[in-house]
Amino acid sequence: MAIYTNLYLLVFLPLVLILYQIIPQKHRWKILLCASYIMYFTFSKKLVLLLIGTAVFTHYISIWMEWIDIRSKQEQAEASDRKQKTEIKKGYQARKKGVLALGVLVLLGILFYVQYYNFFAENINKLAAHFSAAALPILDIAFPMGISFYTLEAIGYLADVYWNRIPAEKHLGKLALFLSFFPQIMEGPIARYSDTADQLYEGKPLNMGDLNAGFERILWGLFKKMIVSDRLATLTGELFNNYKDYHGVMIAVAAVTYTIQLYMEFSGSIDIVIGSGRLFGVKLPENFNQPFSAQSAAEFWRRWHMSLGTWFKNYLFYPVTVSAPVKKWNRYARKRYGKYVSMLGASAMALFPVWIATGLWHGAEWKYIFYGLYYFVILFIGVALEPFKEKRNQVLHIDPNAPWFKALRILKTWLIIFTGELFFNARGLKAGFIMFRNLFVDFHISDLWNGSFPETSLHTADYLAIAGGCIVVWIVGFLREHKVDLREKILSSRLPLKWAAYYALILAILIFGAYGAGYQAVDLIYAGF
Amino acid sequence: MDELLEILNDIDDSIDYENEKALIDDHLLDSFGIITLVSEIEERFDVEIDAAEMTPENFNSVEALWAMIQRLREN
Repeated sequence: MAIYTNLYLLVFLPLVLILYQIIPQKHRWKILLCASYIMYFTFSKKLVLLLIGTAVFTHYISIWMEWIDIRSKQEQAEASDRKQKTEIKKGYQARKKGVLALGVLVLLGILFYVQYYNFFAENINKLAAHFSAAALPILDIAFPMGISFYTLEAIGYLADVYWNRIPAEKHLGKLALFLSFFPQIMEGPIARYSDTADQLYEGKPLNMGDLNAGFERILWGLFKKMIVSDRLATLTGELFNNYKDYHGVMIAVAAVTYTIQLYMEFSGSIDIVIGSGRLFGVKLPENFNQPFSAQSAAEFWRRWHMSLGTWFKNYLFYPVTVSAPVKKWNRYARKRYGKYVSMLGASAMALFPVWIATGLWHGAEWKYIFYGLYYFVILFIGVALEPFKEKRNQVLHIDPNAPWFKALRILKTWLIIFTGELFFNARGLKAGFIMFRNLFVDFHISDLWNGSFPETSLHTADYLAIAGGCIVVWIVGFLREHKVDLREKILSSRLPLKWAAYYALILAILIFGAYGAGYQAVDLIYAGF
Repeated sequence: MDELLEILNDIDDSIDYENEKALIDDHLLDSFGIITLVSEIEERFDVEIDAAEMTPENFNSVEALWAMIQRLREN
């Protein structure tokens, strides 16, 4: 039961809303928990046990860490002098660190096993074949949907308890709800405990404001997904599956249309997720913020899949930044090579694990590792060139705020994004390189209209619907970028205008949405990660 | 405090640090600015910043940064 299906939108969601409202407030979170597990069961069957196991394990690890803190404080209070107090504190801190390490290793171990074991086994076997060494068995491992999302949430929660940013959740069921809230479980956004937990447990009564906002957001998500993304999937499927048949401008079309498809699909699904949460008064973190307005690759990643970026920043980038090796390097390099080189080295040490992890997080394939490294190199070059940008602007008399300069920077960022997505969606890394090479072979813009365009089930009307959908999404994004939130404006407008807007959206989805056998019923792309 | 302002201005002198309250939340200080800031603060104020301190609340304003430095010095 995916979140864009009629079963979810017209049966499951209304039923949960009714049950939620008729139950006393303090028990409402239990309805959300039951709904979450039922939903998870519909697509993962017995693997729901792994989700339950993760919740139980995370719960007891966090309680254990809190218990260590309590014991530490008790013993420190009984200590005779400051030195003894420090000793006790240090001892318990080391123990607490050990417990956190155990928690993180087990959670990552499970993720590694289900997601990456076969990938590593296959590659090790290829290597072992050269030395006639024994091969690792390739296993038939079932993939638990959403594991990449809930594992990160669980690790983030444990780290926050470890750093005393939040108290451990004493109720196992409540923690289980945080880790499994049904709209989020398939595609995120990856929430921090402090952002959503209280809202999930509050059992806030349904109200018209939240219901309207949620309903509007879900419609907006369906609009993006059904009018644009589901149609484009037909075209991108043809171009990427038969990539050897295409070259030049068609490869560019593949990269651009897949980027648009992915954005419409992923951000549209997140709209449905955030809208579903909002119906219950739960405000989930945003995942997109007009990513195509970014003027650099670094800014793009602050606007695209924001909850993943925030997670890596908080739980990988910052801890690495203040880790002993980076500090040691800084002290050493600063004296020998100066500030610039020391900063470059520290940036590389902090950036590299983040981007390798970002690549791997998407799946166990070389193309994803390449995708992570691609952004690592681009971001690192950006850091290295930063001090020279001001000088360049002075020498060339460039006003960095001039519209033409901003437009040029946006265009450059688009090229970086499109190239990245070409590899991301290629049928393997080798196919990615072939497509990239073919991009420069016989590049004729006239291929767009001289009959070379691939024959698919899409007709002129479909392309018009895609273009129309893109224009509407672009206008809404453009206005938001200029501080005009059309969604908020519609919500606060008078009843007739509000419903006129809703009906327009509903009609657009019903009339222009992609239905039937001619279209690919597209699965949620990020649910596969 | 002046020394801290000096460090911040060295990183990016286009920011009005005395009035800015959302250095992190508004992405005024990017990740690399933070790397430099952490290492400069540790060097000049002889403190150890660990991962637990890496929160927006500690880095959003010059006052918050100063309060964190004072707290770390006392420990």
